[in-house]
Amino acid sequence: MSKEQAYYVPEGTYWPIIGSIGIATLFVGFANQMHGVSWGGSVMALGFAIVVFMMFGWLGQVVNESTNGIYNDQVDRSFRWGMSWFIFSEVMFFAAFFGALFYARQLSVPWLGGADNNVFTPDLWNAFSASWHQMAFLAPGAELQSGTVMSFPAVPDSGIATATPADVVNPWGLPALNTALLLLSGVTLTFAHHALRAGHRNQIVGWLVATIALGSAFLGFQIMEYGHAYHEGLKLTSGIYGSTFYMLTGFHGFHVTVGVIMLTVILYRVQKGHFSAENHFGFEGVAWYWHFVDVVWLGLFVFVYWL
Amino acid sequence: MTEVLIVIVIIAILVALGFGLIGMLKGGKQGSDKMFRSLVTRVALSVALFIFVMFAGAMGWIKPNGMMIDAPAVHQPVQK
Amino acid sequence: MHGLIMVFGAIMPAFVGLGNWLIPMMIGAPDMALPRMNNWSFWILPFAGSILLSTFFMEGGAPAFGWTFYAPLSTTFAPDSTDFFIFAVHLLGFSSIMGAINIIATVLNMRAPEMKLMDMPLFVWTWLITSFLLIGAMPVLAGAVTMMLTDRNFGTAFFDATGGGDPVLFQHIFWFFGHPEVYIMILPAFGVVSHIIPTFARKPLFGYSSMVYATASIAFLSYIVWAHHMFLTGMPVAGELYFMYATMLIAVPTGVKVFNWISTMWRGSMTFEAPMLWAVSFVFLFTIGGFSGLMLGIAPADIQYHDTYFVVAHFHYVLVTGALWSIIAATFYWLPKWTGKMYNEFLAKIHFWWAVIAVNVLFFPQHFLGLAGMPRRIPDYSLQFADFNFISSIGGFAFGASFFLLTYIVIDCIRNGKPATARPWEGAKGLEWTLEPKAQYHSFNTPPSRKLIEAESQNS
Repeated sequence: MSKEQAYYVPEGTYWPIIGSIGIATLFVGFANQMHGVSWGGSVMALGFAIVVFMMFGWLGQVVNESTNGIYNDQVDRSFRWGMSWFIFSEVMFFAAFFGALFYARQLSVPWLGGADNNVFTPDLWNAFSASWHQMAFLAPGAELQSGTVMSFPAVPDSGIATATPADVVNPWGLPALNTALLLLSGVTLTFAHHALRAGHRNQIVGWLVATIALGSAFLGFQIMEYGHAYHEGLKLTSGIYGSTFYMLTGFHGFHVTVGVIMLTVILYRVQKGHFSAENHFGFEGVAWYWHFVDVVWLGLFVFVYWL
Repeated sequence: MTEVLIVIVIIAILVALGFGLIGMLKGGKQGSDKMFRSLVTRVALSVALFIFVMFAGAMGWIKPNGMMIDAPAVHQPVQK
Repeated sequence: MHGLIMVFGAIMPAFVGLGNWLIPMMIGAPDMALPRMNNWSFWILPFAGSILLSTFFMEGGAPAFGWTFYAPLSTTFAPDSTDFFIFAVHLLGFSSIMGAINIIATVLNMRAPEMKLMDMPLFVWTWLITSFLLIGAMPVLAGAVTMMLTDRNFGTAFFDATGGGDPVLFQHIFWFFGHPEVYIMILPAFGVVSHIIPTFARKPLFGYSSMVYATASIAFLSYIVWAHHMFLTGMPVAGELYFMYATMLIAVPTGVKVFNWISTMWRGSMTFEAPMLWAVSFVFLFTIGGFSGLMLGIAPADIQYHDTYFVVAHFHYVLVTGALWSIIAATFYWLPKWTGKMYNEFLAKIHFWWAVIAVNVLFFPQHFLGLAGMPRRIPDYSLQFADFNFISSIGGFAFGASFFLLTYIVIDCIRNGKPATARPWEGAKGLEWTLEPKAQYHSFNTPPSRKLIEAESQNS
């Protein structure tokens, strides 16, 4: 035995079962809401409230235990392992959507157009030519029955037209601005990180506020961008381009929102003096998360808008 | 060529991010240093990549994929 | 629904439970690293299970598209209850991911300080590698069902060719999850068998380190062979060839394992208590399933076998006589440590022979049915298949009934069993056997010494 070491086992808590109830309520409500059940929305909101309550309670308890110095290094390392592999699972989640994007763009859309002379991809429609983010939307006055999927190929004289409005997907406008904003937030966060390691608390606060502001600005512009795209006819329902565009950017936006909230909590904890130059895992975890979200956006910007 | 370069830089960014994760995992002074260095690298690379992409776009080396056509625009249907 | 319940509701929770109970004991830790998160991952299960089962009572019936829920069966043509099914899968995914994160943190961080990685028992090794598979695969499943959800309710076109998507895309994403998933279910089984066979052969495990490397190779390969489930979807020939060869490659590490188990038994002084019976029959029957898998993995031959009862027979041989067998073997092997009492060996042997005969009557004829051309998933098969199906049904009822006896044996053991010693199997190695006969809630409050670890290591 090199040195005596006692294991730490935390005391019991009810938060996990509360969280399970909350998350199940949220999903049951959501499913009912989609099926048009009247109480669906309120149950969903209730479930969400329970989840938020659980988050505050559970994390608050952990923060308390941490600041009271109950944890040892081993617990700290367990948290680090937990956070790292959680993020890895997030990477895999986004990978599924990026995979769908690449597959649709490189394989399924060209095949639909008859590329490769593959025996399995015969000509489906004479008038159809495959081009990426070709969108279908209704000409004014035309109506589609609900439940039908908008047809993707251009169908002459049927009221369905395809178009590729250039500025919806033009990377020079808002997307470029948003990329710049988010990258800048990565820079300011790095300054905050540096300040924390050097022990300048006032500077940390400043840089963190800047990061949060940039993140929020990003979200605001993203909403504008959605409004614009939607107005131009790019919708979730407008074929595979709309699907991948909204799902990828939407899930990314959700992660940015979560990131902004987490950064705000970290800002609060910095002001409370929870972190030291040596011991600041909470900050590191959130910072890494933010960098991850940042890189996902860079990937989105390059692959969705450019390449 | 430009595309390949962009993809390589993105992979490099992911690697730097991954090293940051390993640093966070290690913890302690060493891990903290490693994490910080990797993240600085990743931020620098990202900014550089962004500038390069915009520059390449301005020079016309790459086109926004709105104008990209993946399959022949005029396609002759097989006579049945 | 049968497949979903068996995969997500039976095999996986059973192994996760076994892992959560055994791993801390095996690595000399008091408990799992993140007990609260673990607790959460447990409590999600009853809720997710209830949501999943509640679909049986909904209008339009439960999801009726098998555990693979291919689009468009699960999107365009599915009952409304599918949305509940999707959320249940999301919840099960959260639960699995948290469980896996916890096992990784426990094994890598809570291990006794004196225990090196290559001292770890194989069950711990296989679970560690399984956890990596879980974390890599489950989020992809979450992505797949999310796309399904939006396709169903928000008009996206991921799996809809009229919008430029592709139903085959679903199969790619699903099997990128699905293939690692089948190894998630079998790797812990390998670990269990690697404990039982050395114990009753009274020899150290043959080729410990090659077992570890074989497990890791299987895990790696499992990520790059997914499309061998999709040979008939019209992939380019180059793709078919690649996936065929990569699939063949998996036979190599799996063969290493089977030969290692046999070499462990070679010239051992073997006895056949119930756990050993299950373990030996695991090796035998799992290998049958492995060989039929090899046959299915050959792309040109798969054109004949695809979607027939041959496939059904194959995966029931690997999952029932593989994964489930090892769970039952593990139950008997560690039951004394769990209850502090011994089970009735005589009844256990009767149960074994009953089950092993029944399961073969149940599944072996399905090979013949499949080769004769009976397709999977049909409500009414043609007349010439009736006889074999009849035999198969008899086996099915007999096999199902055997579980009443198993339940009785376990309850009888808890109630009336004779007290067990701390190490009821004299050939058993492992830190768990150094604890008191009935393991306590928190096993090791001070780490075990290097000497003890070495004495109990499988790698010595």
